[in-house]
Amino acid sequence: MIPQSKAFDAKSLRKTVLDMAYAGSTVHIGCAFSIIDLLAVLYRNHLRYPGNDPIAAGRDYFVLSKGHGVMAQYACIRELGWLKDEAFTGYFANGSDLKGLSDSRIPGLEVTSGSLGHGFSVGVGMAMGAKLRGTDQKTYALVGDGEINEGPIWEGALFAAHHDLKDFMVIVDENGFQAMGSTQDVLKLGSIQAKFESFGFEAITIDGHDEVAIDGAITQLWASNSTAPKALIAKTVKGKGVDFMENNNIWHYTRLDPVTYAQALSAVAGSVQ
Amino acid sequence: MRAAFSEALVRLAKSDPNVLLLTGDHGYALFDDFRRECPAQYINAGIAEQNMVGMAAGLARTGFRPFVYGLSAFIPVRVVEQIKLDVAHDKLPVVFIGDGAGFVYSHLGTSHQSTEDIACTRAIPYLSVYSPADRFEVTACMEMAYHSKAPVYLRMGKSDRGDVHVAVPEVRAGSLLEAKPGKASDITFIATGALVRIAVDIAADSYPNAAVWSAPFIKPIDSKHVTAICKQNRIVVVLEEHSVLGGVGSAIAEIASEFAPVRILRIGVRDRFSHHCGSYEYLLKEHGLDRPAIELRISNFLSAN
Repeated sequence: MIPQSKAFDAKSLRKTVLDMAYAGSTVHIGCAFSIIDLLAVLYRNHLRYPGNDPIAAGRDYFVLSKGHGVMAQYACIRELGWLKDEAFTGYFANGSDLKGLSDSRIPGLEVTSGSLGHGFSVGVGMAMGAKLRGTDQKTYALVGDGEINEGPIWEGALFAAHHDLKDFMVIVDENGFQAMGSTQDVLKLGSIQAKFESFGFEAITIDGHDEVAIDGAITQLWASNSTAPKALIAKTVKGKGVDFMENNNIWHYTRLDPVTYAQALSAVAGSVQ
Repeated sequence: MRAAFSEALVRLAKSDPNVLLLTGDHGYALFDDFRRECPAQYINAGIAEQNMVGMAAGLARTGFRPFVYGLSAFIPVRVVEQIKLDVAHDKLPVVFIGDGAGFVYSHLGTSHQSTEDIACTRAIPYLSVYSPADRFEVTACMEMAYHSKAPVYLRMGKSDRGDVHVAVPEVRAGSLLEAKPGKASDITFIATGALVRIAVDIAADSYPNAAVWSAPFIKPIDSKHVTAICKQNRIVVVLEEHSVLGGVGSAIAEIASEFAPVRILRIGVRDRFSHHCGSYEYLLKEHGLDRPAIELRISNFLSAN
């Protein structure tokens, strides 16, 4: 087992992602980098896992609905010591467990996602379950901005607001890109905050790479007296942390080679958080 | 049959507070008893089936036992991917009720008619597929679905064709149930859902030695029993109010081809949508599933083989 650091230092998390992506020759690096600061704050300050148990009965639920960002979550799980080191060094090896998209059979991953627009609804169901049981468990569903093209997101938003699921929070990774181009070019989203507000959510928009702002917004949303579900709109940069990946959508698909791997490691090591 | 369904659901919900009923804004009168007896366990998820199934998965993950109700054209067909990924992948104990399967909504056209649902669900790993023929089988299927603690699709078709049993049958997973006794002979019948009644009537009048088996459990199905039935008869007729592609006839033929090759006549919907509107009886006729058309096909098949 990897010693638990639980520092969730964003530089270390990005390095883990790069190491995994290089070991497995995988794609979706940019998609993981846009959410990694959000996950660092969530795991460090907010998600409760009693006894450091990923399936503890009273845990908070973190649902990665944009399953293609899963390497960022693997990096956090690594710090929690829930998987053996070989799981990371052997990423994508034949017979290995960690897939390129979220799979609920992995400790800490609540849903199987990758097909978009699924996890949000499962999260709404978990929040409804917690409400019916009268617990104070929080449910977070992290979705991509491209992902909210999917209809079930808005079906679930109606339900969450109608049923006053105040302990449900959607976090939107608004990195401005989806698989084939910018969200502006593919399907204009307009104001995501206004959209969720119009569905009855209490919403805040922040810089998704500013850990203080992220932490403050989450705290503020949970402190609200309102029974509304919550929406945190995180303005992010796809590929954040590696200059040549930032806002460059080819890093949705591109694999690292020895040169780009070294350059990326160097960029992450030198980046100012 | 629908009363038996409602009774079973109320009984299960009253005995287990974790049982929840989720409906996609369907079942207006059907759930009057449930809403009166178990109001806190009733969730109308709105006309939003995809979200409803995802939520059912989330509720199951928090220890609830959701029964997800809709018309068979929507639950499961509209939400096949949610069933596969959100529910079946992790063997979550969610029961899907697809009501009005087959040509029940004979006047409403293709959107509400459902003859693809068995094929859509059979291939989903870990998902069981049930298709009761009468009120007694509904009760048995509901109990089986609840106690299996695994994902189940329960198909409810035309519900007023009369009983084929005299009491709730004893069942095991995969059981084929004797709807009409018979003996090893030239011909035997396997049917599911509303067509079991027609099969019994045809056999009783025209093939008195033939047994009729009801297949309320389409998946898993007792393949040894199917093999034995196929071995004992020269011709097997399979009837279903569903496409002949991927339904019960296919399931029987798959088993028979491997373990007991036999001539099988698959009677069902022949890869077509309804063209016209009319009564249920009219629709059966349009699809060649009325009694005279079925009898003619059987006699032609017998003479040709």
